[in-house]
Amino acid sequence: MKETFIIPTKARILALVLIAIGVLAIVIGFAKEGPGTWSVLLINNFYFLSLAMGAMFFVAIQYVTDSGWSAMFKRVPEAMTTFVPVAFIVMLIMAAGVRDIYEWAHRGITATDALIAHKAPYLNIPFFYARLALFFGLWILLIATLRRFSLREDAGEKGETESFLKSRKYSRVFIFVFALTFSVAAFDWIMSIDSHWFSTIFGLRAIISAFYSAVAVIILILLWLNRSGYFPEMNKYHRNDFARYLFRLSIVWGYLWFIQFLIIWYANLPESTFYFIPRVEEPWRLFFRAEFILNWAIPFAVLMSDDIGRKKPVLIIISILLLAGFYVTLFLQVMPGTGGTVKIGFVEIGSFAGFAGLFFLLFMYTLSKASLKPDNHPFLEESLHHHL
Amino acid sequence: MKQKEIIAVFDNDEDLVSAIRKLLENKIRIRDAYTPFPVHDVLRLLGRETRLPYFAVIAGAVNIIAALGFLYWVAVIDYPLNFGGKPAFTLPAFVVITYLLTILLTFLITSLLFQVRTGLYPGKEPEEVMEGSTDDKFILALGSNIDMNEKDRSMADSILRECGATDIIERERDNEKK
Repeated sequence: MKETFIIPTKARILALVLIAIGVLAIVIGFAKEGPGTWSVLLINNFYFLSLAMGAMFFVAIQYVTDSGWSAMFKRVPEAMTTFVPVAFIVMLIMAAGVRDIYEWAHRGITATDALIAHKAPYLNIPFFYARLALFFGLWILLIATLRRFSLREDAGEKGETESFLKSRKYSRVFIFVFALTFSVAAFDWIMSIDSHWFSTIFGLRAIISAFYSAVAVIILILLWLNRSGYFPEMNKYHRNDFARYLFRLSIVWGYLWFIQFLIIWYANLPESTFYFIPRVEEPWRLFFRAEFILNWAIPFAVLMSDDIGRKKPVLIIISILLLAGFYVTLFLQVMPGTGGTVKIGFVEIGSFAGFAGLFFLLFMYTLSKASLKPDNHPFLEESLHHHL
Repeated sequence: MKQKEIIAVFDNDEDLVSAIRKLLENKIRIRDAYTPFPVHDVLRLLGRETRLPYFAVIAGAVNIIAALGFLYWVAVIDYPLNFGGKPAFTLPAFVVITYLLTILLTFLITSLLFQVRTGLYPGKEPEEVMEGSTDDKFILALGSNIDMNEKDRSMADSILRECGATDIIERERDNEKK
């Protein structure tokens, strides 16, 4: 039983309209607000890159844990990773604005700033782009490898496990590489905006945020596909497992958020508190509180009960709140450091919509390229009849 | 009249669940089921789903308040100390201890309630409905001859056989045991 996803015309038009809005918003941004728009681009690009990488991490986790329940949904997170090469291109385009975003890249800053001069062997433009190319190279290579085995499995015969075992092997490699490179990528691209500040847990927080919001997107997409008639086998137990994913990740997220804050708050050293002081005061205070409430308090309280968490409307609302929460997190990490203001206007929303449209279009395109369910996956039957 | 009970032995959980389904359809009373590992369907069908998590949530909420109250009493009322110029009542400093105390107290209270409700206590004699019920056998205990008439008895018998019971025993019920 081969079933393929056909891109609905409405969805294609919607995605194209969103992309048009995004292009318009970015053009208006550069025309009216100038170099500040680079930070908006950085937020959006890192946001959707996180979703793509988090989705790949989700697939890898399913492989290394031999999870059966999620086998039939595998193609959805797999298709979400198509955005990674696009993120690479956008990062390269952003080379034009690197001196506007990062303080360490300002001309002549090493002569006047001793701390940045000390960090210059690491934080300099050639090495920055060498690392960037290395990270994207590794990610694209591993994603393509896993995708190749996934498609080879479809072409093969039922009961053959060679591709599955290979996928599992490369999933382990991916998790290892992802943990190392994505944390350094978060240090480089986001944390180095505040060049004087450092937090070793920053990378881990980026990984968890990526995983967390990727699961939210997978849920939203699956519920949409389910409503359009795909995945008729999806039952309340699948939803239950997704709700549990969100619940557990909300605990991890809250834990990491709090220990980052607690240690800096307790030690009370000016060299690290200067990062939090503007963020807990006006005008950023609202964002600081919203981040914690959206990402931890609401999902934790609502998803505690399995019976509530598995309901479709609850999952949809929580997932959307989480996506908003992730945007607030990134906004709060980037904007105060690049001299941005508390403003979410047309440029911010429009460019976000543009990236979302592009992400969605690429996702649908890749999803329609292969059979919707991995037909020869050894755990497919278990997934189709998932039952607690 | 001595109470008698029917014990049916199954080799796997699927047979057990299908037998429970059929018996319930025919309105035959099931006293209990014994499985070596939790089978969610059995709990659901027999209406034995645990309510312990609800208790744990309430206990957790009470314990958060208790732990915060305790810390407030220690750090503000009884023995206020100056730590790095921070005020005596500082919520971030209390969070970790509250978190750990809540987990500890909630675990202790909930496990205590579990032991009381199930009648378990340290040093209790093991109580096995039948040999193998904790190893690899799935056991169904039906009601006795008092609440089951002849017709139901024979129907239950045929359903159990049909669903793959490997052994059906009728034995006197020991009323002293629980």
